[in-house]
Amino acid sequence: MTLLQELDKIYFFMKRDILSFSTYKTNILLSVLSALFGALSYAFLGANAQMQSVLTSYHINFTTYLLIGLAFNTYLSQSLTLVQRTINPWSLEEVLVSPTGLFTFIVGSSMWGFIWSTGVIAIYLAVGVFAFGVVLSVNIVGTVLVVALGIATFIGFSMIGAGILILTKQGDPVTTVITIATNLFGNVLFPPQVMPQALQVISYFVPQYYFFTTIRQVLTGATLQAILPDLLVLILMCAVILPLGYLAYSWCLRTAKKNGTLSWF
Amino acid sequence: MATLNDYAIVTRDLTKTYKSKIRSPDQRTAFFQRKNRTVTAVDHLNLEIRRGELFGLLGRNGAGKTTLVKILCTLLPPDEGTASVNGFDVVKQQMQVKQSIGTIFSVGERGFFWRLTGYSNIEFYAAINNVPRRGRRERIMEVLDLVGMKDNAFEVFQKYSGGMKRKLALARALLPDPPILLLDEPTTGLDVVSSRSIREFIRNDLSRKAGKTVLYTTHYIEEAAQICDRVAIMHKGQLIALDTPDSLKGMAKKGEVLDVVVKNISEAQVNGLRCVDGVASLAADVQDAVLGQTDLRLRLENADALPGILDFFFKEKIKIVNFKQEEPTLEDAFIELTGAGISE
Repeated sequence: MTLLQELDKIYFFMKRDILSFSTYKTNILLSVLSALFGALSYAFLGANAQMQSVLTSYHINFTTYLLIGLAFNTYLSQSLTLVQRTINPWSLEEVLVSPTGLFTFIVGSSMWGFIWSTGVIAIYLAVGVFAFGVVLSVNIVGTVLVVALGIATFIGFSMIGAGILILTKQGDPVTTVITIATNLFGNVLFPPQVMPQALQVISYFVPQYYFFTTIRQVLTGATLQAILPDLLVLILMCAVILPLGYLAYSWCLRTAKKNGTLSWF
Repeated sequence: MATLNDYAIVTRDLTKTYKSKIRSPDQRTAFFQRKNRTVTAVDHLNLEIRRGELFGLLGRNGAGKTTLVKILCTLLPPDEGTASVNGFDVVKQQMQVKQSIGTIFSVGERGFFWRLTGYSNIEFYAAINNVPRRGRRERIMEVLDLVGMKDNAFEVFQKYSGGMKRKLALARALLPDPPILLLDEPTTGLDVVSSRSIREFIRNDLSRKAGKTVLYTTHYIEEAAQICDRVAIMHKGQLIALDTPDSLKGMAKKGEVLDVVVKNISEAQVNGLRCVDGVASLAADVQDAVLGQTDLRLRLENADALPGILDFFFKEKIKIVNFKQEEPTLEDAFIELTGAGISE
């Protein structure tokens, strides 16, 4: 098994998904329109509903705050359901009997989703920059680092959820809990500072808070040094959640194989 | 004297047990008191399949055939015993096993992407099965040509007929040119013509010309009889017979075989017929539900049993539509060994 061979496999996973995706032309159009109109709606909302706490805490206007939150939430949502989407009962066994490792399988199955999400993010940011005068000053290294950490952490959650799904065959509670936590405490649509003190505390225990705090900062010019405390917390959380997710997923996969229930859905 | 190296597939005391919740209405229990039922799908199975052999595994639904195939292709770990494929252990050397096999599962269209063309589907599987990038296109066209799908390669998969889908599944299994093929009921659900075409391809091209080792599971008795070098009969997770199709047929030759078509026979009467002196085994298949005709296949211990049987029909007022004496078939051997017809 060479690296080139594995990259080739990842490319063909991606090609398969692109070819399949491209046959749903109406869906593509609707997704683009939905991203465009979503961005416009939230940008109008942000432009007309300034939030003092945003200005105070993040030194950016509410439109910028909102658009970055929404745009990068796309990545996290993509990551959160990534591993579950690879559990296609119709193809799982066929892929598992091929000489393809779990890592290549997961990465290959998710590549196209990430590329598409990047396109959606571009729509959000383009609307902000060109229609609403949002000013971005991107720290590229910081952005790549924070996005990678966010994705990795959420893939960890996704693997735990997928593992549960493999065993229970029904909806996994992890995705639901994490989605709720992201929307409420994740610093996506509003800063935790607007919530009561008791609820604000919860934010400091969810990785989404650190992801959205740091991504906004690196997109508006902050240096790595400036975001270091929050970044370190994010790194720590990622270092715990990602391996935990891998272990949980591998264990659940092994258990389902042992029980012979892998393709029972 | 054959050595282990002469065998493509070897199992030793292979055992796989499933636990399942009891769900049948008469056995239903309260939510917190649900009982587990243990089913031994493969029971201390010892099997040796020679290299280049076309080996049939015959058994009813639930006999354990698919479980065995899944263990051999590494999808299921055994609970006890060992299995090796191409000399590699299915638990400890999974990657080598996967590189040695091509597999078709009983639902042939599984794993295909319906909105992609046949070619794109095969191209994807070529990549994940390590078919080298250089020459990959040629290899894909070669296997598509081999299974007779070259002309339909660029049509969308969802427009294929059942037979074409199964042929594409065969092409997928052949892609990496594996020495061993595990074909789990590859003709299930296909029409007669498609079935025959696939059987002939397996027999003539894969087995005879290419020298592949083929493990062919089926519950179609005649399929196994027609194409396999040796046939094993699997029943309740165990191998109860293993020999050439002709030798297996010979097992049923000790007695007489009668094929009787009767009208309006009840289940109680069928059971009564089983108890008639000299009836070694009996398989009953409804031949025409509208006309109420049932085909009874009786194997007699000897010809002396015939008057007793005719007497039973007379007393029970069962109308005989057709009556003939037949040569024993593999099905008779199956009935003899398992005590029931394959579809029962």
